[in-house]
Amino acid sequence: MSAPLTPGRRAGVGGAVDLFSAASAEGAWTVSEVTRRAKAVIEAGLPPLWIRGEIAGFKAWRSGHWYFSLRDKTAQIRCVMFAKQNYMLPVPVDGMQVFIFARPSVYEEKGDFQLTVTELLSTEQGGLWKLAFEKAKAALTKDGLLDLARKRRLPPFPRRIAVVTSPDGAALRDIQAVVGRRWPVAELIIVPAQVQGVKAEASVCSALNRIRRLPVDVLIVGRGGGSIEDLWAFNSERVARAVAAMPMPVISAIGHETDVTLCDLVADLRAPTPSAAAEAATPDRTEVLAHCGVLGQRLARALRIASRHVVERLERTGDRLTRCMDHRLEKSRALLTAHSARLDALSPLRVLARGYAVARDADGKVLKRVAQLPSGKEFRLRVVDGEVGATVQPGVRPNGRVQ
Amino acid sequence: MAEFSKQLERLEAIVRKLETEDLDLDEALKLFEEGVERLRVAREQLVQAELKVKKVLEIETPSSSGPASVDR
Repeated sequence: MSAPLTPGRRAGVGGAVDLFSAASAEGAWTVSEVTRRAKAVIEAGLPPLWIRGEIAGFKAWRSGHWYFSLRDKTAQIRCVMFAKQNYMLPVPVDGMQVFIFARPSVYEEKGDFQLTVTELLSTEQGGLWKLAFEKAKAALTKDGLLDLARKRRLPPFPRRIAVVTSPDGAALRDIQAVVGRRWPVAELIIVPAQVQGVKAEASVCSALNRIRRLPVDVLIVGRGGGSIEDLWAFNSERVARAVAAMPMPVISAIGHETDVTLCDLVADLRAPTPSAAAEAATPDRTEVLAHCGVLGQRLARALRIASRHVVERLERTGDRLTRCMDHRLEKSRALLTAHSARLDALSPLRVLARGYAVARDADGKVLKRVAQLPSGKEFRLRVVDGEVGATVQPGVRPNGRVQ
Repeated sequence: MAEFSKQLERLEAIVRKLETEDLDLDEALKLFEEGVERLRVAREQLVQAELKVKKVLEIETPSSSGPASVDR
């Protein structure tokens, strides 16, 4: 800088002539004045800009603020990145080459020249995200949490389906609609959680923790749309471990086509959308009803088959009984015919047919003896085809052989 | 109300038993009657079901031992 600085009430600095005249309470600057001035000059001369360098001395404070130095071979600058800017970023490590977008300034209390960082991108292959993701994935793999053998089968007919998602998102509406249509037999338990923002990680973990103790058959962890940066909570190792530790099968419906999250990896099933998750979690009522129909038919057929030999035996026995009865009847019929022939031979009509006649008086009494038939008596004479009236003529001729 | 999956599992077991085992008529009839009853109940559950939705309150439970509160 060629022109000397000229603060309002002060004499010029750096003037060769009167170097010591300003060494007084009136002439000298206070520390605060210098730092304030330096801050103003720097902020005016160096607008926010992209800077590249290596991270050194990284420290994350409990407040969530990050402090580190950015350096190259010959220089370094103190940097601060506040929690509200870094919450969705994976934690960088020392030695990492990064691009930062920062506002150069002076931290007056310490007189430090410092950068206030608002963006931090890794120049490592795949970026900071990728790096952190791979690191966490390696840790999860090491603990066996990504083993395919751990994947649990979803229950075919869930009674209770829990959903962790934003309470007012489209995801919840979609899930509710699909479950209501396909499997209203189930009960839907909604556990609201913040799925984006500073508190997302803690909120999702807390929701998972609440569900752990509920009698739930399957869990859907969903996110209702949003940008890639909103995925960060589902890339948190803490959330991934909480998902892996759930006692029931978990379906992740984080809903980002290109980016697989850690949550997706540990879940028992990854669904492309919340609706797809709800479909995967439920059977279709119509299909189950059809299956019931088939079972009903099989039940009826099975009973028919099971009872078939009993029926056959019954039928055979029935046949034998009929045959037996027929035989008996035939015999009886023959006997009856014989008896009726004998009976027929004995019939009085047969006797009349042979030419005999029966004499009876008007009262129908049979007149068998001569004494009953005095001369002149009128009587009836029965012959085979009818009866005639008759009168006894004189001339009795008793028959000695008849008593 | 018996759990649907249990209902269906039992029904399937009954059908299989009736189909594969040589049973007395008495036993077969008993199984058949049970099967028909379970089928009726299962159908009823399917046809009459209406989705119930509960929301778990967003209250941090102070101790980890107590059950989470459920709001109907």
